[in-house]
Amino acid sequence: MEAIKNAVNFSDFPRIDRLVAGAVFCFLAAYPIFPHSAFAMATMIQFFIFSLYGMGWNTIGGYGGQVDLGEAQYVGIGAYTTMVCLLRWDIPFWISMPIGACLAVGWSFVIGYPLFKLKGHYFAIASIATSLVLKDLFEVWKFVGASRGLGILPYKYQTPDFLRLIFKEDVYYYYTIFGFFIAGLLFMNWFRKSRLGFQLRSIKDNEDMARSLGINVHWAKIKTYAIATAFVSVVGSFHAVYVKNIEPEDTMSLDLSILIALMAMLGGAGSFWGPIIGAGVLIPLKSYLKEWLGAAAGLVGIDLIIYGVIIMLISAFEPRGIWGIVQRTRRRKI
Amino acid sequence: MALLEVHHLVKAFGGLRANDDVSFDLQKGELLGLIGPNGAGKTTLFNGIAGMFPPTSGRIVFDGEDITGIGAPAVARKGLARTFQVYVAAGDLNVLENVMVGCFLKTASPERARTAAEEILDDLGLKDLKHSLVSELPVAAQKRVTMATALGTRPKLLLLDEVAAGLNPSEIEDIMASIRHIHNDLGVTVMLIEHVMELVMNISDRVIVLDYGRKIADGDPQAIARNPQVIKAYLGERYVREHGQGLEAKGR
Repeated sequence: MEAIKNAVNFSDFPRIDRLVAGAVFCFLAAYPIFPHSAFAMATMIQFFIFSLYGMGWNTIGGYGGQVDLGEAQYVGIGAYTTMVCLLRWDIPFWISMPIGACLAVGWSFVIGYPLFKLKGHYFAIASIATSLVLKDLFEVWKFVGASRGLGILPYKYQTPDFLRLIFKEDVYYYYTIFGFFIAGLLFMNWFRKSRLGFQLRSIKDNEDMARSLGINVHWAKIKTYAIATAFVSVVGSFHAVYVKNIEPEDTMSLDLSILIALMAMLGGAGSFWGPIIGAGVLIPLKSYLKEWLGAAAGLVGIDLIIYGVIIMLISAFEPRGIWGIVQRTRRRKI
Repeated sequence: MALLEVHHLVKAFGGLRANDDVSFDLQKGELLGLIGPNGAGKTTLFNGIAGMFPPTSGRIVFDGEDITGIGAPAVARKGLARTFQVYVAAGDLNVLENVMVGCFLKTASPERARTAAEEILDDLGLKDLKHSLVSELPVAAQKRVTMATALGTRPKLLLLDEVAAGLNPSEIEDIMASIRHIHNDLGVTVMLIEHVMELVMNISDRVIVLDYGRKIADGDPQAIARNPQVIKAYLGERYVREHGQGLEAKGR
């Protein structure tokens, strides 16, 4: 009961935050009504997908301060579970999604236990390694299509198919992921005020101190990692039915892991709005730069260079990301 | 019954015996001081009791239970809290949130943790600071926040590691009053490491002295102040040789 109350209670944010967030929320809810290109719509869906990845990452990486660069493996687990369930046994999305999340959480315990014996850079490197190993296994595993991956043939299904989440029009996907986005926001709002949330922030601050206050540091990290994992895996399942073609190279690549972490850090790791701001800035930037400069002018790869530069500037200027800059200017005014 | 019993505790780091066969008892309701020159192994002893690392040998019994080697979180759950000498708060937790982390040991409910934390802050006179970041506070206030955070776990025994270090005389007065309040009014047994002698001699019921990892004296503050071995440890061999006779005579 108290948990639900905390999840829907945003009253501890300053009024200006709530006003801006409310306006953005209304815009997002009404967006499909406005005239828009298919490309813009796809970008918006990517924005939701990456905000959710970022929120998941933010639990362990932001609040907990454990820079995890292996989240892509859980995108893969979620995406592949949903895909395999659908193609082999015709199991609908709403059943395969929780199965995927359970598998991902189970896997996260297996690798989280040894992984969190490590700290700092060693942890980051080991998290990359675990993800790459899983990706390599999927690349040779025939059952899941090996390196060519799996694909849904949409004409086989009667669209709109709400059970399997197979649609012709993107607007259906838009509102589905928007629903996930709201659920994610509420969950994060609960999480940041929960005992586990506080314990993690204390761990990030000073591990010895946290231990002396009765916090089982190792277990708290593993639990949070499982939460991050479940988030990412659920969105991975959605990604599978939305994109309809998955292969290890795009669902489990190191690029994706880094992008997830980077986005949350750019927006502001360890803050509630950070991952959303990060995705809101980086996703449109990435897709439009690619579109305009990459495809149009033939400058393939220039988008990577430009957003690399932006990230370097941000991290040199304010390590707490865009939200850090907002907070700093705000404090100066007072 | 003793609240804390330490039996022949040894902690060796390689060849260095930071604690060498230390034994003592601490009665419920006592206020025990722990002094000794720099490097005597005081903080190591605290870390050992609080379970930050397993001892090389020896046994620690707290409230009738053997807590040797069960680890710091488990020790904290049994009701033994401690503060740290050097507390670097680089994070974004404010004072209230810091104390709430302590309170979360006894409750999973954020509401209850908040209420408990606010009570503790009121009690220690830190109410006005509750929304400040710990890193922005002066040292004296930071020390009090660490005490408040430890109190959040509702301990039976509180270990204070140099809470008066780096404070000016009036701040020392304040912190002494806080310690007395915690001990007398909240009924928490206290053991403290302190270099500020007027504090430790003033406030303690009993004082233990460590030197080179060994316990060299154990007694009430007046006796400790006159103990030649303690004076030797603090002032050196030569001083005692030169003033030895007089000191011995006074000590008896």
